[in-house]
Amino acid sequence: MQLTLARHPITDLKLGPTARLDGTVLTIDVAALRQVVLQDASLVDVEFDIVRPGEACRAGPIFDVIEPRAKAPGGGADFPGILGAPLTAGVGTTHVLDGAAVSVLAEISPDLTRSATGRVLEMSGAPVAASDYAALRHLIVIPHTQPGLSRPAIERAYRIAGLRVAVELARSSLHHAPATCERFDPVGPAENGRDGLPRIAYVGQIFSRQRKPEVDEPILYGANTEGMLPIMLHPDEWLDGAIVPSLHSWFGGTETYFYQNHPIILELYRRHRAREINFVGTVATIAGSDNFDRDRHCRAAANLVKWNLRADGAVLSKYGGGLPHADLAETARLLESMGIRTAVMVSDVSRDRRVESALLFNVPEVDAIVYNGGNGTHWQLPRLERIIAATPEFAKLLAGPLTLDAANIVGVTNQQGASRMRSLVY
Amino acid sequence: MVQITAAKPIAKMVGSNRVVLGTGIVHVTGDAKLPPAEEKELRRKLVQKALDALQSNEQL
Amino acid sequence: MRIAHYLNQFFGGIGAEEHAGKELDIRDGAVGPGKLLESLLGGNAQVVLTFICGDNYAVEHQDKLTAAVLKKLRETKIDLFVAGPCFDAGRYGAAAGALCRAVQTALSIPAVTAMNEENPGVDLYRDTVYIVDSGTNVARLRDVVAKMAALGKKLAAGEPIGAPAEEGYLRQGWLRDQLVEKSAAIRLVDMLLAKLKREPFESEMPATAFAPVPMPAAIGDLSKAKVMLITDGGLVPKGNPDRIEGTAATRWGAYDIKGRDDLRAEDYEVSHGGYDTRFVQQDPDRLVPLDALREMEAKGVIGKLHDEFLSTCGRSNPLSNTRRLGREMVEKIKKEGVDAVILTST
Repeated sequence: MQLTLARHPITDLKLGPTARLDGTVLTIDVAALRQVVLQDASLVDVEFDIVRPGEACRAGPIFDVIEPRAKAPGGGADFPGILGAPLTAGVGTTHVLDGAAVSVLAEISPDLTRSATGRVLEMSGAPVAASDYAALRHLIVIPHTQPGLSRPAIERAYRIAGLRVAVELARSSLHHAPATCERFDPVGPAENGRDGLPRIAYVGQIFSRQRKPEVDEPILYGANTEGMLPIMLHPDEWLDGAIVPSLHSWFGGTETYFYQNHPIILELYRRHRAREINFVGTVATIAGSDNFDRDRHCRAAANLVKWNLRADGAVLSKYGGGLPHADLAETARLLESMGIRTAVMVSDVSRDRRVESALLFNVPEVDAIVYNGGNGTHWQLPRLERIIAATPEFAKLLAGPLTLDAANIVGVTNQQGASRMRSLVY
Repeated sequence: MVQITAAKPIAKMVGSNRVVLGTGIVHVTGDAKLPPAEEKELRRKLVQKALDALQSNEQL
Repeated sequence: MRIAHYLNQFFGGIGAEEHAGKELDIRDGAVGPGKLLESLLGGNAQVVLTFICGDNYAVEHQDKLTAAVLKKLRETKIDLFVAGPCFDAGRYGAAAGALCRAVQTALSIPAVTAMNEENPGVDLYRDTVYIVDSGTNVARLRDVVAKMAALGKKLAAGEPIGAPAEEGYLRQGWLRDQLVEKSAAIRLVDMLLAKLKREPFESEMPATAFAPVPMPAAIGDLSKAKVMLITDGGLVPKGNPDRIEGTAATRWGAYDIKGRDDLRAEDYEVSHGGYDTRFVQQDPDRLVPLDALREMEAKGVIGKLHDEFLSTCGRSNPLSNTRRLGREMVEKIKKEGVDAVILTST
């Protein structure tokens, strides 16, 4: 398994008529894209728009953000198990449109109890410094689903549409010479020439059983993770389309873009390349539905790290809401008891901004905690002329002026390690 | 467990569920100012209070 | 700047532990560390009032003390209230914190105190009172008072207060968001590698917190129950055979009381540096109420009193010790088939 990313830097996106990549400017064939998207009968129409960094515009609610990427011929499947057969991800060459993103809007609120606006893409003003997405050029996909569909069917349509557009866009670059080729180092539990370096593993939750997954909800190689136990994955599988976010767990922030550009995995690769660590592998796990389920998963994950990856240390991240912190802490506690040092990354669950409300666990050995903040931050955003939304209701809601919490700007809070918003203890 | 102490706020802070107020820091279950017989009676009452707390599910 | 200062009997120059029961005394002008405070603040800073009170009195009569202090402060123009520094002294810290909070809340007068992080006064009041980290070493009094002066000056002037590490106060426990350079992912890997290399690292969330302890169910029938006595007041057999330390004890002992109806003074001593142990020395039942429990046993109120009492010293004892001591005692308790424990604490 050795993934190569062929990077094509993109400085601008343009609409039509034909798809072509001229240097760093990508022209998009809207008609072709429509055809690709409308393969799915759940969608009756789709529109596209482009937003650029610094533009006074706002788009939302955002369902997902995806980096345009396409596998080179013979290199495997794009989003295996979802758009095609579940071939192993992370093999061969994947072409990347660097600096571009596909952002899919929703016609429905993600979760009415959190906020009617859902997560919003804000391209100018104060929130820009806090979100990496504000620096990208986005092709906004505005889907229109058939009336009468169930919520899961609607969300699944958004998921498939977004992935298809991202692949189709990147296909324009397939026969162009990339600006750079990034070849990932060979990593694994049995790599030679890494003696004396600390063996480090990553344990990441990819789903939380706080809710049951939909029958046809694609998460891991297109499977919905129902009944699944923790599994070892090569880091490149995360980076190359094996995993996508669940259909509706929007708390805390997880987008396909940051699976493709997984901050924790990329950082571990960086340290591996610098010969500071021996990156031995990863475990994908699930936050349990009840105490037994939790115990079962935490033990299984810890055992994989201990006996298969033979790690000296592990970093852990979570998915979903507050309860998965218990799984996070229990897995870390087990690892510590096995002599494996851990550091964990948590979400901000403190509503009253007190430290004592901030941690949903109290395990003395789990003493290395990175805290993703945000609950205390909100921005007052101006009225903007250009609002991109899938319904007139959302267009009106998002027009502004309005106050949005940090959690409601896409990219500010994130469970994959991308966030630069900390909470400090005063 | 029931705890007898004169520093009740501290006991409650660390999570002690049943806390009976003792007589003083320097004589938790006594009182040097009282004559011996009365002091013993005070101690009996305090200990009985503690035993009562053990039989109740009320936060004290 | 007009300052009111609170001191305990020791720092107030009255005396040591034997005077811990002293009632509140209000003096004009500065006393002891208050004089240092004045000189460090310089200019027109003046300690106009000093409140001196015994530590035991302060704990046992906190409401009365608070009322008296507030009453006096209502009659006197004050810009800043200072309490301590208290270092390790738990009763002193608890009183100082309580008074600072009361003064802030009732009179809107800024307040500052100082104590060691493990002082119980910290967890009680840290979220609303600025508590300078004094450490345990009283020899550093000057440095500590200097920090109190600097912080107090800012508070009195209404200036914004910076991060705990900058200003020298103990974390209050409030979260403030901040955009930083490094992503969470980088911070996460950095932290793990530091931990692995045994280098110092700072967790972004302190791990220690007092999680609520689930309440064990009440004893159904006490007359059938086996009861055990435990104390953290440091009562040990004469000679302290287990060498239980009088501060930050790392050990505990189990001491035979079989056949005894009463604890006799000549058989015991007290290893505890945090209170005046005279009264317990005179009659150890004042700390470990064996005589009363024997009566209960004889009358059938309890089923049986276990043949030993457990003892350690709770003074200035960090959680890293006491968590372990507690766990070890629990193993003993379970081993002996004990149903209920009476814990006496000084």
